[in-house]
Order: sequence, then C-alpha cells, then structure tokens
Amino acid sequence: MMNILLLEDLPQIRAWLSSLVMQVFPGAQIAEAARVHDALGLVSAIKFDLALVDLGLPDGSGVDVVTALREHQPETQSVVVTIHDDDEHLFPALQAGAFGYILKEQARELIVEQLQRISQGEPPLSPSIARRVMAYFTAKAKPQAASPSTMPLVSLTDRETEVLLRVAKGYTLPEIGLQLSLSRHTIADYVKQIYRKLNVSSRAEAALEAQRMGLFGR
Amino acid sequence: MQRACHPLTARRRGHGPVGASLTWLLQCVLPLLMGLQVSVAGAQPPQSVRVHAAQAVVSDSVSFPAAPAPQVVDLPDDWSLSRPGSNGPVWYRVGFTAPGLAERGELLALYIEHVCTNLEVYLNGQLLHRGGRMHEPITQNCNHPQLISLPAGLITEGTNALDIKVVGHALARVSSRQRAGGLSALDIGPLSVLEPVYARQRALNVTVPQAVSATLLLMGSFMFVLGWMNRRESHLAYFGALSVGWAIVESRLWLRDLPIDNAVSELLLCAMLPLLAMACIQFLLRYAQYRSRLLDIALPLQCLVVPASLLLAGPERLNLLASFWYAMLALQTLAAAAFYLRTQYHSRTRSFWPMALLLGIACVALLVEYLSQHLGVRSPWSHVARIATPVMMVLVGLRLLQQQGRALQVAEQSNAQLEQRIREATTEIERNFAQLAELRVEKVTERERKRIAADLHDDLGAKLLTIVHTSESERISTLAREALEEMRLSVRGLTGKPVQLIDALGDWRAEVVSRLRQAGIEADWQTPADELTQTLSARAFVQTTRILRESVSNVIKHSSATHCSVGCSIVDGDLQVVVHDNGKGIPMEVDGRLDRGHGMSSMKQRAKQLQGQCLVESGPGYGTVIRLTLPLNRATEAA
Repeated sequence: MMNILLLEDLPQIRAWLSSLVMQVFPGAQIAEAARVHDALGLVSAIKFDLALVDLGLPDGSGVDVVTALREHQPETQSVVVTIHDDDEHLFPALQAGAFGYILKEQARELIVEQLQRISQGEPPLSPSIARRVMAYFTAKAKPQAASPSTMPLVSLTDRETEVLLRVAKGYTLPEIGLQLSLSRHTIADYVKQIYRKLNVSSRAEAALEAQRMGLFGR
Repeated sequence: MQRACHPLTARRRGHGPVGASLTWLLQCVLPLLMGLQVSVAGAQPPQSVRVHAAQAVVSDSVSFPAAPAPQVVDLPDDWSLSRPGSNGPVWYRVGFTAPGLAERGELLALYIEHVCTNLEVYLNGQLLHRGGRMHEPITQNCNHPQLISLPAGLITEGTNALDIKVVGHALARVSSRQRAGGLSALDIGPLSVLEPVYARQRALNVTVPQAVSATLLLMGSFMFVLGWMNRRESHLAYFGALSVGWAIVESRLWLRDLPIDNAVSELLLCAMLPLLAMACIQFLLRYAQYRSRLLDIALPLQCLVVPASLLLAGPERLNLLASFWYAMLALQTLAAAAFYLRTQYHSRTRSFWPMALLLGIACVALLVEYLSQHLGVRSPWSHVARIATPVMMVLVGLRLLQQQGRALQVAEQSNAQLEQRIREATTEIERNFAQLAELRVEKVTERERKRIAADLHDDLGAKLLTIVHTSESERISTLAREALEEMRLSVRGLTGKPVQLIDALGDWRAEVVSRLRQAGIEADWQTPADELTQTLSARAFVQTTRILRESVSNVIKHSSATHCSVGCSIVDGDLQVVVHDNGKGIPMEVDGRLDRGHGMSSMKQRAKQLQGQCLVESGPGYGTVIRLTLPLNRATEAA
C-alpha cells in the first residue's frame, strides 16, 4: 500500500488533489497537511512513497519539507505542486531534491498524466528550468581552485548537457529523443540524472557552505 | 707752571711716502699759556701731527681756567685711570704752530677719534665747535669721531692755543667703558688729510651700527610677527624679539640726543639686557624643541630683578653691578647655546655645523666685546667683534627664514596633496552615494514588485485556482485558467528582467508546440539558425507571449486546422513572427471586417503598444496568417 503526503493550504484544492491522487493511485493512504509544521511532523512519523508539496504556505515554504524528506526519507519522491511556473520559485525546490513539478491550474487529465509520468520516472523539464540548471553547472565548472578536494565534483555528461541545451531551445523530450535517436526512456533517464545531480551538487555545496560557516564561527 | 719742557713725541700721519726719519721740531713754550706745542706745517707736503700730551685742568669755567694750575697728561686720557670718579668737566690745552700756512692756503683741522661724552673746542679763545648740550642730558658723542676745521683767520703765525672742554661721566656711573669720560689723542693737520680718516672712522662707528640697527629692526619685527602668528613657531618670535632688542641697544651707539639723563638712559639700557638674554635663551631652547616651565618663569623674573638691583645700588655702583649682570647673562646665554648645539649634535641634524659656526662666531665676538669693555683693551678687533655679532644674527635669521620657507613649501605641497585626496574621496563618496541611492531605489522597487507578485499569487491566484477546479462549467474553468495564466504573465512583466531573445524563443516553442500537439495539430516551428544576441524587455516578452498564445488558442479552437507553422525571423532589425494554419479561416462580418470575437483587436492593440503591428490575413481554403512585427530595439527599450 502506498503512503502519500499531500501538503496544500487551500482546503478545496487539497480535496481536489486528494481525489486526483486517489484516481492515479487507487488504494493509496493519503496524509493531508495544510501547513509546513504539520507536514514536518508527518514526515518524522510516517514513511512516504510520494509527496505532493505546495510551495507558498502560510507558515513557510514547501522547500523545507522537500529538504526534510530528502534528508530522512531519501526514497520518497517529492513533487512540487504549485501555481508558480517560474524558475525563481521552482529551482530551489528542485535543488532541494524535488523530482519534478506540476502546475496546479492545469486540467485534471493533464495533471493525471504528468503525475503518472513522474511516478514512472519521467519528470517534466521546462526551457527556463533547463537554462537555470545549465547556468548552475556552468558556473560550478568554472575554476574554483579553492576547493577541488573538499567538494565532490559533480558535473554533467556531454549527453546530459546536450539534452538540456535542446530543452532550453524549446524542444520537447520526444522531439529530442527523435533528434538524438534515443528512446523515450533513455531521454527520461537523462532528465532524472540531471535532477539527481542537481540535488547532489546542491547538497554538497550546502554542506561545504555549512562547514565554512562553522570554521568562521569558531 | 712748575713743569719744565715736557718731552713730547709726535708721530706723523699722512698719505705721502714721507720718510719716517723726518722728525718734527716741537716747540715747548714754557711758562704761561701753552704747555704743549706742535708745529704742523712746514716746507714738506701736508702732514698731520698726532698730539699725545696736553695740559689738563678740571674746571667748569667758561674758558680755559687760569687756576688751578694745569697738569700735563698723556693722551689718550682715560678719566677712569687719570681721575677716577670724576665727572669733569676737564679743560685740555694744546699749543701748535703752523708756520707758512697762509702761503699755502691750506685749511687745518682737528680730528678727535674718541671723546666722551661731549666737547667744546676753542682756538685762541674763540669757540669753534660745540658737540651738543654740555649739561644733562649731555649729548652722547662717545661713539662719534669729531672733525673740526680750524679757520685760517684764527691761526696766528706764532703759537696757537687749542682748548678743549670735555664733559663726561665717571666709569662707575656708566655700564660700558665706552661711555666713560675721556679724550683720545688729537690729530692736527690739513683737512684734506684728516677728512678721509674721519670719514672712515665715522662710517665704522656710526653708519655701520645704524645699518645694523635698521636691518635687525626690520628682520626682527618681521620674524616676530611670523612667530606671533604661528604659535608653534614661537622660537621665531623670540628671535624677532632678540633682533629688535639688539637693534635698540645698538642704537645707543649712534643716537646722540636723548631727552633723559645719563643715569636713566644707562638704567634703561641695562634693563634691556636681561630681556635680550631671555629672548636669546628662549629662542635657542625653543629652536631645540625644548620648553622649560622653570625658565619660562625665571627669565622674566630676572628681567625685573636686574633693573631693580641697579636701582637699589644707585648710580655710583652702576658699572660694578652691570658688569656682574653682564657676566651672568653671558654665561646663561652661552649655556643655552651649548645646550642647543648639544641637542642638535645628538639629533644629527644637518644644520648643526652651520649653526655651530654662527653661534661660535657670535660667542667669540661677544667675548671680545666683553674684554674690550671691561678690561679697557681698545683694539680694531673690538670693532670687528661689534659688527660680527649682528651679522651672525642676520645670518641666523636668514637660515630661519629659509627653514620657514621650506616648511611652508612642504606644507603647501602636502596641502595640495590633501586637497587632491579630499577631492578624490568626495567624488568617490558622491559616486558611491549615487550608486547606493540607485541601488536602494531599485531594491525598494524590486521588493515592492515582489510583494505585489506574491499577493497576486497568494490571493488572486488561490481564488482563480479554486474556480478552475471547482466550477461546474467548463467554460468558466477555462476562463479562470486563462485568467491565471494572464496573471502570471502580468507578474512576470512586473518583476521580470530583460529576456534573451533566444531564451524567449525557446519558451515560446515549448509552449506552442506542446499545445498544438496536445490538440492534435501538426506543428512546425522555424527559428533563425544564427546566434541571436538581442534581448527583449520583460514587457515585450510578456505581450508577445500573449499574442502568440492567443493566436495558438484561435488555431486550436476555431480553425479546425490540421497543420500550423510558426516562423520567427529577424527582418531589418525587427522581430517577425508568422503563424500560419491550414484551417477554414476567419468568417467575414457583414461589413467586410474580420470577426472581432477572435481576440484580434486585443492582439493588434498589444502589438501597437510595442510600436509594432499585427496583420491578419484570412481566406477560405487559405487558412489564416497572423503576421506580427516588432521593432526589436524599441521593444527592448520599452521596459
């Protein structure tokens, strides 16, 4: 039986999402929360398979819940459900370990389809997010001679970069699969890998930053 | 009277290369009138004769007194030796003959190198010359050589009697031996011979001290003002005071008539000396960067003690006490000079040797002056010494001025540097401030936009979202969804930064192609292959996105098309977007215009706002073509 966390502050939307999740994952156990605080409590109590997390909540940001899930339940798939479609809002959540995102206002069928794809390991990737990811890794690839040993160097492969580049130009994933003569699953694997590397690199960076702060704080 | 012929010697004095072997016959006229007599004119070229002896008698009579009997004295006659304590007046008489004078038509003259304090000269009982007031306050002629021409008409062929009445002061009553009563040797001879001698002596005794006084006064007052203005340079003020004081003391050498008695003028002069010493000592100490509280009090106190002690001692002991104070003051000054030189030597300043030389010369000169005054040694060196001290002072003054000038220069330079630095700093601050202000405005604006955006998302977005998912009507859901998208775009236009055209094309392609595919319409997207460097303002991006979205919506909803191509290109710096479908086209209204229900007018309006245009062509079997042209640079600027 599947355990699913649903964090959403608007009751009606939460109910609607709940019914939607039941449709995609029949028989799943859904734990609902309206606030970050409640969600964090649930995370420490229940082991989830999937988490749908809204970002803008009354008592904070859903990114904290994503981070906590990544920390305590690395197996859980966190999916951001939001009305923010811009990379400003999404990128931090993806860095924190979110595996894909869903825009709430889309039609039910679309969301269902996307949710299914995500759960099957095919997260969506918009051009602006792709650009942001590329910029992130490009900046990191630039010589940071200060800490090559302390930081595990996570970098994208040429293929992953190629995929990102094409996504940024507006090509859909199936199109890219055709262009590169790759199967839909292989492309999806690249995207998954990109998400994973983004999270790993961000976490390493955060750890390094924390270490540095500790050193300074001494 | 009882005296017999007194053996006299006369030394010749003159220009001509006359043999020293020539002796002059001196006629001793024994009994009555003349005690002494010299012959000053002969067949030889004009010569002068120095008289080394004279009859002398102390008397205040109006003419050479008949009684008491005169004594024969050597000249120079220093009263302090020949008649200690006497204040005169003393009559002197010298006899001379000048044979053959009338034939040569030569004018004779009497030259007296030194007479103190004042004199009257009579020739054969006739008053020839009076040096000034003969009673207190007596005209001070001690430093003034005297040249009195002897009118030929008064000179007889026989023996002539030259009477000189001298008034003066006993040594005890004056502070300097120079002003003690006395008479030097007399020179009698042709005026032409004696005049240059007189002129030289006068220049040395009077003109030089006058020049020195003037110079010191000028320099001193200048330095004093300089030091007074700048308290950190107080040594300059003291040096100025020293110079001015010296000038005043020096004026006693050439200033003849004072409206005050000798006793008072001597007292005032003596009172000046501790002041001078104080100025000198303080100058040296301050110049060596040393300041002593004790001396600051002790030296002014001394300036009071000295005149007070002299006043108490009375005029008869003036010389004695003044000598004591001279010595004391000289020692103090010497000690200060030694102290100064020691500090300079230890700090190894470059000015040590020049200053040591100047101070050394001044000290030696002072010593010579002291010796000549108090031991009665009269030598040409005393003249040199008297001039050397003020000359050294002038040199020291010049040195100080040079230092001051250099310091001024340095100060000006550093001032200029400072000003330059301040100017730079000011510019920097202004620039920083402007940047800060700009930043702050940007920051505030940014924050405000973010707040509005967040509010829109949280309130409006949440409500619209609820409508989207709870409305029974599909139409309302769609409307609300569109409104939500619009709101999101508006927020982006509000907060967004300029967008790279190539990124915008990527976003548009992703949206257009996926929407058309979802609707089952074949999509064809064409973009320029070359690198694009242009940017779009957030507003232009948002508006263009809306126009594109509207076009695609129209294609999906109304055209029944199976294929749609979207081409983006750069034509003459304009962005051109052409959306072409193979649908049924837009139905014509009755008046021949295209249906407004398809949002055409809002598309056109938006294009117009960006200084572009949106053309719609449609026809049956042809489909619809929407041509959007945006001037890129202007659209970019329209932020």
